[in-house]
Amino acid sequence: MSTSEATAADAQFVRPEHTTGLPLTRMIMAVAALAGAIIAGYMLLYKLGVLASIACGTGACETVQASPWSDFLGVPVPLWGVAGYGAIFVVALLGIQPALAADRRVAAFLFFACTYAFGFSAYLSWIEAVRIQAWCRWCIASAVVATLLFLLALPEIGRMRRRDA
Amino acid sequence: MATKGGSGPKAPNRKAPPNAPNLKAFYALLALVAVVGIGWISWSVVNRGGGAATDPIVLTGMENAQALLERAQGVKAGNPEATAQVIVFSDFTCPACGRFTQFIEPQMKTEFVDRGLIDFTYYDYPLGPEGVHRWGFIAARAARCARDQGTFWEYHDLLFGRQPEWSYDVRRPPVDRFIEYSRLLALDADAFRDCLESDRHADVVTANRMLGDQLGVRGTPTLFIGGRSIENWSDWNAVRAAIQGQLGPMPVPADTAADGN
Repeated sequence: MSTSEATAADAQFVRPEHTTGLPLTRMIMAVAALAGAIIAGYMLLYKLGVLASIACGTGACETVQASPWSDFLGVPVPLWGVAGYGAIFVVALLGIQPALAADRRVAAFLFFACTYAFGFSAYLSWIEAVRIQAWCRWCIASAVVATLLFLLALPEIGRMRRRDA
Repeated sequence: MATKGGSGPKAPNRKAPPNAPNLKAFYALLALVAVVGIGWISWSVVNRGGGAATDPIVLTGMENAQALLERAQGVKAGNPEATAQVIVFSDFTCPACGRFTQFIEPQMKTEFVDRGLIDFTYYDYPLGPEGVHRWGFIAARAARCARDQGTFWEYHDLLFGRQPEWSYDVRRPPVDRFIEYSRLLALDADAFRDCLESDRHADVVTANRMLGDQLGVRGTPTLFIGGRSIENWSDWNAVRAAIQGQLGPMPVPADTAADGN
């Protein structure tokens, strides 16, 4: 193989700088968001009465779900979760497609949505600890997912600032 | 055209870069998470609480009064040998029954049950399935699941005492609340759950309700003292007088007699 051929072939392997490491964080983000949507969906089914009981172990999911804080702006909190995680899932999937990987709107959405999810989850955890004084294990699981998403979204700050190629 | 091992121009290499994440593996992982998650939720919908009997069942052969009496099963307190029989038909979702439990039963217990003077029997008469009485049947079953672990009366008091907490939300059976109550009474919550999320005791609760219908019960609580229905169940003096009427002349306790002298 000649030197020029090797250069041409290797060029296929070289990703632009702005996409380096991009797919992996967004892939994990998509998996985490899907898990979050499933957790929120499970709680939503319980909230709507489709599920007669919720697997809660030693927690107090029923108490949390029956509290006045289980609705936000008139909408059940788990429905916010399904919508939020669902949106992050879809955009993270789009974000690993070559055509959109470098799109700053994708990066911006992922960063702000994950930051909002993290903040909202922290607020709900505070409500559980201070106001309701009861913990729901699924809410904790959702908070862990939201925290993970937030950490995974931090690199999106740099991606938002980069100029499109 | 590129040839194998040839020296001509190569076709573009479509292989992923060595450090690129494997998309196939990623999509497989996503599919796995989705399948496991959706499967788990579906299983939950089918099994978790879905098996809890919340309505009366069809009992055959109950036209025969004797068969019905054998199937119906009250919960007794006091002295089964006592000649004075007091029977109450009650529903855990009924606020009036809650008042009866709060104000009349304790006095009856102190004066007559604990002293072994009466044979007191509690029968279920779930009023549902409409409205706020929707969960009367499963509540009656829950109390009997607690009875399986020897705590009927404690659970009975808890259900009436916390009635607003569990009976108002008619969207779903309060299975979790009832399990939470079982924990409050230090019952084996897993065994309690197994009982509640089944149709156990559904036959007895149904038979109790049918027995009440046959005896002319039209509402709750209905109190029978010596076979006679007592309209004024909320008046303790009237209830006490009716019980004493069944007992006959009461022996005067020695300490009271001494005080009187």
